[in-house]
Amino acid sequence: MDWPTSCLEVIQEEPLTVKNPKTWHHTHSYGGWGKFFQGLRESKLLATRCTNPACGEKRLFLPPRCDCVDCWHPTEWVEAPQVGTIYTHSTVTYPGELFKLPPGTPLISIEIEGVCTKLMSWLKEGKPEFGMKVKAVFNTKNPTNTILDLAWVPA
Amino acid sequence: MIKFGPGNLRIPRFERPVYLVAGGMTDFRKKYFEKNTSQLCTEALRMAVEENDLKVDAEEFRRMVNWCVYSQFADHFGDQLLAASKIHDYLGFDPLGNIEVKTGGATGGSSVLAAAQAVASGYASCVPIVGWERMDDVSTKVGNSYIASAACKDFESELGWMYAAYYALMAQRYQYENQVPHETLAKIACKNHEYAYYSPFSQNPGKYTVQDVLKNEIVSDPLTFLECCVMSVGSAVLIMCDEETAYKLSDTPIKLAAICGGTHTLRTADRRDMPILLLPNETEATYASFKGGRRREWPGFSSFLAARMAAYLAYNMAGIKDPVEDFDILETHDAFTISDIQTYEDIGLRPYGRGREFIESGECYFDGKLPTNLSGGLIGTMHAVGATGIFQIIEILWQMQGKYDKFHGNPEMWTRYGKKKPADWKSLQLKNPKRGCAISHAGTGSHVTCAILEKP
Ligand SMILES: [Zn+2]
Repeated sequence: MDWPTSCLEVIQEEPLTVKNPKTWHHTHSYGGWGKFFQGLRESKLLATRCTNPACGEKRLFLPPRCDCVDCWHPTEWVEAPQVGTIYTHSTVTYPGELFKLPPGTPLISIEIEGVCTKLMSWLKEGKPEFGMKVKAVFNTKNPTNTILDLAWVPA
Repeated sequence: MIKFGPGNLRIPRFERPVYLVAGGMTDFRKKYFEKNTSQLCTEALRMAVEENDLKVDAEEFRRMVNWCVYSQFADHFGDQLLAASKIHDYLGFDPLGNIEVKTGGATGGSSVLAAAQAVASGYASCVPIVGWERMDDVSTKVGNSYIASAACKDFESELGWMYAAYYALMAQRYQYENQVPHETLAKIACKNHEYAYYSPFSQNPGKYTVQDVLKNEIVSDPLTFLECCVMSVGSAVLIMCDEETAYKLSDTPIKLAAICGGTHTLRTADRRDMPILLLPNETEATYASFKGGRRREWPGFSSFLAARMAAYLAYNMAGIKDPVEDFDILETHDAFTISDIQTYEDIGLRPYGRGREFIESGECYFDGKLPTNLSGGLIGTMHAVGATGIFQIIEILWQMQGKYDKFHGNPEMWTRYGKKKPADWKSLQLKNPKRGCAISHAGTGSHVTCAILEKP
């Protein structure tokens, strides 16, 4: 039998330090959340609401939840308003690996009327301000199939 | 779960007392290629057993151990699943039982909680708690990406791949609501870098001015590099016992009066409003004018419900009436300057909205009323994640045992790590601290533990 031919690159000898390459992908199913990402392709902002008539909360959740966090009953899809206000913002100068947005893109959290969460997203145009009114825009042409397919611009 | 029922707020109790007797650690470095992970853990354990004036030798100690708890945050970094099994073997503890605990940045605190549950219930009587993190396998950029995979990968990680950005969103909102001068935040960074300067274990010591911090490069606005925790390699080991074993091992065991945990949603976005959960030193009147009477608008992005929950349980468990009065020493999880101010409020050092007063009043300094992060904290000394919560408790334990100088002031401790003790080194040993508190914290507040140490 021959020795294997793929060798680890040596970074240094003392102590012996080598490079372990990793080049595979992970297969990831969004499961019940998939409809949300498919919705973005059609310019729809899909949230969820509990279907249990006895539920005391029935809040509108965005990101969506397949089952109600307050009673564990299934939820149904409801289109959320596509306008909101900026609750907070920050621009990351040194993002981590895998960052796909253009440098200097403001990250924002959005308050939407009737929605009980403050969705994290990004501002595609303009300079972010607290309380600034924004509207949703969607990457329908060449979707990334990630949360980045949703962005906001000044309303 | 935000409407509490009677069972939800039950105050935990230990069935028998829990003691801490000894601690050990390595120094902390950005890269530690000189030693593999099992070497680092062995070094920390050896210090705990052999350098803490225990009344038994190492061999006798080994025969007393009956359970082990392992504390590592990310299998991603170490690139070794079931790493605890390997460490357990290399420490020579097979075939004793063990458990590995994982709760992000609070892994260390949660490991101490898990060990306390074992000792308090009678399941175990002598437990080493071994924590470590190996963050030098990958570049800083990849490291930040790994850490950001501890945000929600479906709806948030893509937005930054950087935890500092998630904290910066909270920081901006906190600032919008409370207008804390950046100078006040910078003071926290200066304090912790300076205290790290007196520690041979520290990775990022330095005497900085407020101006240095303000002019430092921004990671994600408003946070500068000097206001963020370090990324470390290293290990920390704590020895926990029941009362009988504690006094067999040591003349100066310290009691773990309480350790409790709280949680909140991984996504900051999903934190729904609720009325403020009140600590023993607060009443309805404390918040009569909170946000103009909008007491329900809590915790928002400015507060950590997980920290408040942990403090609520631990304070009630240990009979704490007022943390600033009752504690003599505090270690917070100062991952970022802003989260430190938020934590001051969550654990009741000041009411919500007034956290800045804790630093501005000078109370949090060495000579103040409640010295905080004399260890140098995560900003100055270390954040080898799985070791962090353990490291904090060891630093308090040493302070309460009067061993600060032994471990920080001995020139040989400095040469051990290839450093020279600074000529202007000063002792941060407190005069007879009787009660201490350590906060271990994960995510943007996904898990928090609150530990209370007490002189018996
Ligand atoms: Zn429901």
